[in-house]
Amino acid sequence: MPGSIDYSRLRILPDFDTAEWWAATKQHKYFVRQCNKCGHKWFPPTIPACAKCASMDIGWFETTGKGVIYSYVVVTQPILGAFTNTAPYVVAIIELNDCREEDGTVTRVAGVLMNDEAETAIGLPCEAVYEETNDPKIVVPRWKISGTAANTWHFNE
Amino acid sequence: MGSLTDKYCIVGVGETPHMRPSNRTTLSMACESINKAIADAGLKPQDIDGLTSYQAGDSTTSPHVATALGMRLNYAVDILGGGSSTEALVAHAIGLLEAGYCKTIVCFRSMNGRSGRRMGGQAPGGPVSAATADGDNQFNMSWGWTTPAQRFGMSAMRYLHDTGCTTRAFAEIAVAHRYHATLNPKAIQRSPITIEDHQRSRWVSKPFRLLDCCQETDVSAAIVITSRERAYDLKHPPVFIMGGYARTLTESPNWNYSRSEIHYVAGNYGWKRAFGMAGIAHSDVDFISCYDAFTFTTLIQLEANGFCGKGEAGDFVKGGRLKIDHELPSNLSGGHLSEGYTHGVQMVIENVRQLRHRADDACPGWAQGKHTYDRAAGCRQLRNARICCGMAWGWENMASCLILRGMAA
Repeated sequence: MPGSIDYSRLRILPDFDTAEWWAATKQHKYFVRQCNKCGHKWFPPTIPACAKCASMDIGWFETTGKGVIYSYVVVTQPILGAFTNTAPYVVAIIELNDCREEDGTVTRVAGVLMNDEAETAIGLPCEAVYEETNDPKIVVPRWKISGTAANTWHFNE
Repeated sequence: MGSLTDKYCIVGVGETPHMRPSNRTTLSMACESINKAIADAGLKPQDIDGLTSYQAGDSTTSPHVATALGMRLNYAVDILGGGSSTEALVAHAIGLLEAGYCKTIVCFRSMNGRSGRRMGGQAPGGPVSAATADGDNQFNMSWGWTTPAQRFGMSAMRYLHDTGCTTRAFAEIAVAHRYHATLNPKAIQRSPITIEDHQRSRWVSKPFRLLDCCQETDVSAAIVITSRERAYDLKHPPVFIMGGYARTLTESPNWNYSRSEIHYVAGNYGWKRAFGMAGIAHSDVDFISCYDAFTFTTLIQLEANGFCGKGEAGDFVKGGRLKIDHELPSNLSGGHLSEGYTHGVQMVIENVRQLRHRADDACPGWAQGKHTYDRAAGCRQLRNARICCGMAWGWENMASCLILRGMAA
């Protein structure tokens, strides 16, 4: 398991567009943005309009917080003080299970895995877990591998 | 061919040395590189009436430079930009010249990219002790995912998964560009490397090793652009701008990492415009430059711009194909991987020098265009340097291109 993240060395500042997203993670819910007109979903919530219909009448979709690893990197050389003791750690892009749209559009999110590199593979299912920080207003989602899959791919050079 | 093809020219190029550290301001370095580029064109600062630059909140501005060098400008603008901005500012300059806003334009970039603010948030002394995650940084800094190596590594990993390519293809690019740097007295990394050296180098952000990553340097670089009619009277034979595209975007406006394929990049949507405007085919291209913030960024631009098929770039670069005296020489100065990091300008500068037949190498007569073509003796000049295709990208979702020809083509 990777080392802990020192959140005291990271000052996360929610803003007008993101405050509700952070309020949701505090309740252990994983939100993505959703268009109230056409239903399109996206991430991150800093994007204030729907890329499909340009509507700014937007809300939230509560995902199950479950997805599949689409890609990953292994950070061996941390550049932020908060992650000095975390390395080596895996950042993954997660394709959310319940955000696939009829035209094939997917919503992908990212986060630090709870798992080591050796356990990580593209194609594995994972789910969000929620990590308290020293700031009582901020809970940061991470991702934990939750099972196995038939077709997986692991970088092994 | 486009109505603007060959109508405008690059007539001057110049840069400071690549330094670590510079112990200078970005204004001081900008003045040096611009003075050199203007002198290279055979012009004076007072001949320049347009000045543009790109930066990331890490540099001086055009009005500051104009004040320092005594230029009375008819046009000045500084954009926020990154990789692929040089080619975009050339397109922008053509528009300004065509419309009559000014007559001769300098585009520059000046950055203390090593000793000042490094990309991804690292301070000169090491990891940032406490960092503020606001705006978009809430959704990358909060999970330790900030540097270009960490961000582009995500696309590279998926590319390896999707295509079956291995990192030995990355190594081919590192080796080719380093070989060119061994022929470039200005380059900061001049020791030759092998595929095995690449494979043995330490991990930075898997799947990237140290030798997949560019150099970070303190440097400024500048180019001068004017009309063909003025160019004929200047110091060097003109280098003609045949075509290009400027900061084309990908097929989907989604967050980059929600696009259907994260390594299907913007060049795919741009290259037909550039080649159509230039009126040439890929087989007409004698050499290329390819934005090499990482080995991988060169690799996928080759397929994005149609030099090989989708997913075929790994095979395409095998056997030293990108080396001088091989099929498609790439980044003849050594590029970002080995010469130093100018955020893209040096690619255009080297291409101009090659097209003039005046690569500044170890040949005693290089300034007169006299080259030996003896690589063992340090000659870096291509024998046949007539048409060049320069490709650049900022992120996966943004790319530019510039096709140039020399007088001989």
